[in-house]
Amino acid sequence: MAKKEFSFNEAVKEIEKILGEIESGEQDVDKLSVAVKRASELIKQCQKKLRTTEEEINSIFKDLV
Amino acid sequence: MNEKLSLTELQLLIRDSLYTSLPDFYWVTAEISEIKENISGHCYLELIEKLPDDKNVRARVKAVIWSKRYRLLKYHFENVTGESLREGMKILVRTKIEYHEIYGLSLVISDLDPSYTAGEMALKRQLIIKKLEDEGIFSMNKELEFPVLPQRIAVISSVNAAGYTDFVRHLKGNSQGYAFYLALFEAIMQGSETEKSIISALDRIAERPELFDVVVIIRGGGSQSDLSWFDNYNIAFYITQFPIPVLTGIGHEKDLSVTDLVAYLALKTPTAVADHLITCLADAENNLKAMSDAISGFSGSVIEYNRNLLESLRSKLLPVSRLLISDWKAKISDTKIELINFGKEYILKAGILPVNQASKLVSASGSFILSKKGIIDRNRLSIMNRTFETVYRLKERLAGQENSLSMLNPVNVLKRGFTITTKNGIIIKSQEQITTDDLIDTIFSDGNIKSRVTEKIKVKR
Repeated sequence: MAKKEFSFNEAVKEIEKILGEIESGEQDVDKLSVAVKRASELIKQCQKKLRTTEEEINSIFKDLV
Repeated sequence: MNEKLSLTELQLLIRDSLYTSLPDFYWVTAEISEIKENISGHCYLELIEKLPDDKNVRARVKAVIWSKRYRLLKYHFENVTGESLREGMKILVRTKIEYHEIYGLSLVISDLDPSYTAGEMALKRQLIIKKLEDEGIFSMNKELEFPVLPQRIAVISSVNAAGYTDFVRHLKGNSQGYAFYLALFEAIMQGSETEKSIISALDRIAERPELFDVVVIIRGGGSQSDLSWFDNYNIAFYITQFPIPVLTGIGHEKDLSVTDLVAYLALKTPTAVADHLITCLADAENNLKAMSDAISGFSGSVIEYNRNLLESLRSKLLPVSRLLISDWKAKISDTKIELINFGKEYILKAGILPVNQASKLVSASGSFILSKKGIIDRNRLSIMNRTFETVYRLKERLAGQENSLSMLNPVNVLKRGFTITTKNGIIIKSQEQITTDDLIDTIFSDGNIKSRVTEKIKVKR
């Protein structure tokens, strides 16, 4: 598992940060689309996290129980 | 005394004297150390007495509740206490002493006071709670941070329990399609093995705490709750020390056990636990949706704001630039006329200039020759050369000036399509100088035309 695991909490924090910047008007208009794209990508990953089955975990469970 | 008694005679003697001296019913408190129901429905018990803080048994006696009576007492007892009679329980019974020549002494129980047991259990419960509080560990599990996504669940239950099946079905069948990963750690959920079994399950989970978000202890409900198995100090202690939040769904309608009280969250049924977990995920997703909506809303208004800004700039820019253009047009037109006049003047001057220069040069040379003839002779060559150079340079400069002048020459201007309008030999710069029916001359590069003014049009530039 060399790949860095996706963290729901970190993703939510980043989305909140992007939202805060847009909301407060700090977000540079030139970079707005980049920020929005990043946020929507994170949201998509979060929603996937809610629904994806993780075979790996299931198999570890089997050894453990 | 030579008289001999048979054993039977002795036993009957004991019985008679017991019955004579202890004829009444007695209310007795005792602890159940053994309890058994036989096939015919009679209940056989062993009652003991222990003093607090002392493991030694101070008194022990056999007792029985006959089946007919037992059915009634049992029903009433369970209704009041929510518990079934079991080992370790303290009871208050109305009893009569019986002595049988074969079976010996026993107590026949005719009544049972459930409120005494309930009080004893409550007291025991209170003592456990107080101990946990005194140790300062009572709410340790509650103080853990609950995971945002409780998806990986370690379940402590018995596989055959209806509650477990409900839990799994409910959780896996959630309508939103959320994913949950369940691992069952089997345990015995009632009886004297409960403590050991649940602690062993917790131990196994604690070996890999990073694999789980939450521990769930569940069992089926029903009237036969036997909650007191969970009023257990050791189970409670383990839960307070557990590194992962523990949720309970032990299935008791009325009361909470000590296990429930120390857990992160106690719910009434396994289904309620499943609902809670699903709600946690739904909350997380709703939060995502809200943020997503807010981002699209806010960025929409940022774009809208900038679009409006551009539009207002554009509408301001148009009149300003029109004004600027007409200004420049006027300026260009003025400059054009100035250029033409200046050009004319310059051509005149240019015609005179070489004549002057040449005559000055001749007279200067002449006087120079006269006054300094000798020097001139000596330096004649160099002077000559210098003179030539000077002349050459002047010629060069003149040629250059001519060249640039020719570009300004009105003739050349005229060749580019401009015309000069005159009236009586005076250059006309404005329509104001003309009246209708005036005769005007228009000068082209290749000739003139005469025309009569028929109409005047004033244009504001």
